[in-house]
Amino acid sequence: MFGPMIKGAAGAAALALLAAMPARAADAVNLQFYFPVAVGGGAANVIQSLTDDYEKAHPEVKIDPIYAGSYQDTIAKVITAARGGNAPQIAVALSTDMFTLLDDNLILPFDDYAKGDEGKKWLGGFYPAFMENSQLDGKTYGIPFQRSTPVLYWNKDAFKAAGLNPEKAPQTWAEMAEDAKKLTRRDASGNVTQWGIRIPTQGFPYWLFQGLVAENGGKLANAEGTETYFDSKPVVEALQYLVDLSTKDKAMEPGLTGWGSAPKAFFEGQIAMMWTTTGNLTNVRKNAPFPFGVAMLPKMKSRGAPTGGGNFYLFKGSSPEQLTAAVKFIEWITAPEQSAKWTMATGYVAPRPATWDTPTMQKYAEDFPPVLVARDQLKYAVAELSTHENQRVTQILNDGLEAAITGQKTPEQAMKEAQKKADAILAAYR
Amino acid sequence: MSRLDTPLWITGAALLALLWVAPFLYAVWTAIHPSAYEAHFTLTAPLTWANFVTAWHAAPFARYFLNTFLLVTGITAAQFVLCTLAAYGFARFRFPGAGILFALVLLQLLVMPDILIVENYQTIRALNLVDTLGAVALPYVASGFGIFLIRQTFMTVPHELDDAARIEGAGPLKILWRVYVPLARPTYIAYGLVSVSYHWNNFLWPLIVTNSVTTRPVTVGLSVFATTDSGVEWSVINAATLMTSAPLLIAFLLFQRQFVQSFMRAGIK
Repeated sequence: MFGPMIKGAAGAAALALLAAMPARAADAVNLQFYFPVAVGGGAANVIQSLTDDYEKAHPEVKIDPIYAGSYQDTIAKVITAARGGNAPQIAVALSTDMFTLLDDNLILPFDDYAKGDEGKKWLGGFYPAFMENSQLDGKTYGIPFQRSTPVLYWNKDAFKAAGLNPEKAPQTWAEMAEDAKKLTRRDASGNVTQWGIRIPTQGFPYWLFQGLVAENGGKLANAEGTETYFDSKPVVEALQYLVDLSTKDKAMEPGLTGWGSAPKAFFEGQIAMMWTTTGNLTNVRKNAPFPFGVAMLPKMKSRGAPTGGGNFYLFKGSSPEQLTAAVKFIEWITAPEQSAKWTMATGYVAPRPATWDTPTMQKYAEDFPPVLVARDQLKYAVAELSTHENQRVTQILNDGLEAAITGQKTPEQAMKEAQKKADAILAAYR
Repeated sequence: MSRLDTPLWITGAALLALLWVAPFLYAVWTAIHPSAYEAHFTLTAPLTWANFVTAWHAAPFARYFLNTFLLVTGITAAQFVLCTLAAYGFARFRFPGAGILFALVLLQLLVMPDILIVENYQTIRALNLVDTLGAVALPYVASGFGIFLIRQTFMTVPHELDDAARIEGAGPLKILWRVYVPLARPTYIAYGLVSVSYHWNNFLWPLIVTNSVTTRPVTVGLSVFATTDSGVEWSVINAATLMTSAPLLIAFLLFQRQFVQSFMRAGIK
């Protein structure tokens, strides 16, 4: 008579035991995580070791970090996989890809998974400048991760040789043009041996140009990504200043100048100042054969700089368990300790004030104060240009800028035409 | 060619050759010198292997090389078999719809493979093959170009040879194997070279359809060095590039004579 009861009790006990056991690898939550690499220093290996650390601490989650090439390759891979019904749970893509991903209906807001006070606190803990590209209509679609901003690097030896104060970077547009003129050196036959400044313009001139626009009190687009202001006065003036550096001041190499080659030219003394991303800081520190300084971009009406780089996105098409686990992982990797590791390995700007308060980061900044320049500049930073049909609109602006820089059109004419073309595309989204 | 313009031709050819070889020479120069000599060409610059060592350790290249090798041999072998059979059918058999079918094959030549990436990905996913070497190869094995090329070669084989073999009692497959394939050897070599170098260099499709070290080819490993945000390290990039293209370059140098002759006979330029 007791037989079945005992059996039943044993069965229940076994069930309870099973339920109480921690999840084993077999029923772990699997996550796929696509990431691009745009800096050296073994960035891919750092990501791998971070995810390994996370798996060790959280055996119930398996993360498969998948290197996906450049930013362009990554977005192609992500969109292809998502359209093929095989979207990853997490991917890092350009912050400016938000509208593209939203238009394709591929991503989810983080707000639904980062709930409660803790979630709110996490989402509210990023620098506002980085969140500008990451939120729309009160929802957060991107979590800042590998973010950067341009700064001005200067060669102190060259400043000394030109009779300038080597410890003082130009603070305004006028000072920068003046200094650049003095820093430009020519040999006996009039060939330039050292240019005063380089603001690289090849490939994606819009990015650094956006710094000039912000400094001049202007804006390239609205936050909704539906309007551009290419032909507005501050924008045209900024372009005029950029063009004048070559044509009037003769202190910047005319025509389109390279990004990738700028650090090299800086090391070799072909340029005395350069604007480029903070992502170059470690590179310059390692390879510059002279003392150098790092400063905020100079101001016109105010300070200003664009932000750039990649955000985490959360993709549709996965189970709620996977998405919850994915958001937990992103919370972990953007937490101060992990974020500090990532920043020190790559040179990206840590996107949360809390990261800068960790002992590791404080020591790092003490040893190498230039890392703080980018952080301090963030309060003046603006969102990188991002609109609906972002790639096409950005290309239009790039083409317009290049036409003005190479002297085919006047700044005003080039920007008027660019605005007209952008209007034609964006009208559909208004 | 008159005697007068011979020097002109030689100078022209030399100039073109120089233009072609310059990037290669630059790659070799930067790869075997420290990065400080990227733009300084002094003969006394110290030589170093360090760039190759750095490059080799930046990604699991040994495995990537194995993957690329398997991929390239697999694709080429599968293409030879499929294209030969299809080409034989189109060249020597009459069947209803042959014209339309062949037109469809030719249509493939007009479509860039990149346009089909999403469609191909869906197919591969339906077959449950994502992240396998087979997935990288599959969209390319039924090559329209290969079918067309081999068909054109088979069409030039005299009917008399075909008839003679048939009188000897050979079946269609035996005729294909004993008569057509041997006569089309130059075409196979030429097509094989084009196919091998294309797939050795192919990047986007393998990147998209593979996720793990065990399935990715060298080109994907190479892209780790495209660090556009932090300045480009030419010496390491060039060392890696030389390393990944070396097997092809060496093979080409070894078999150069055969290749050039094949191209001339097969009419691919």
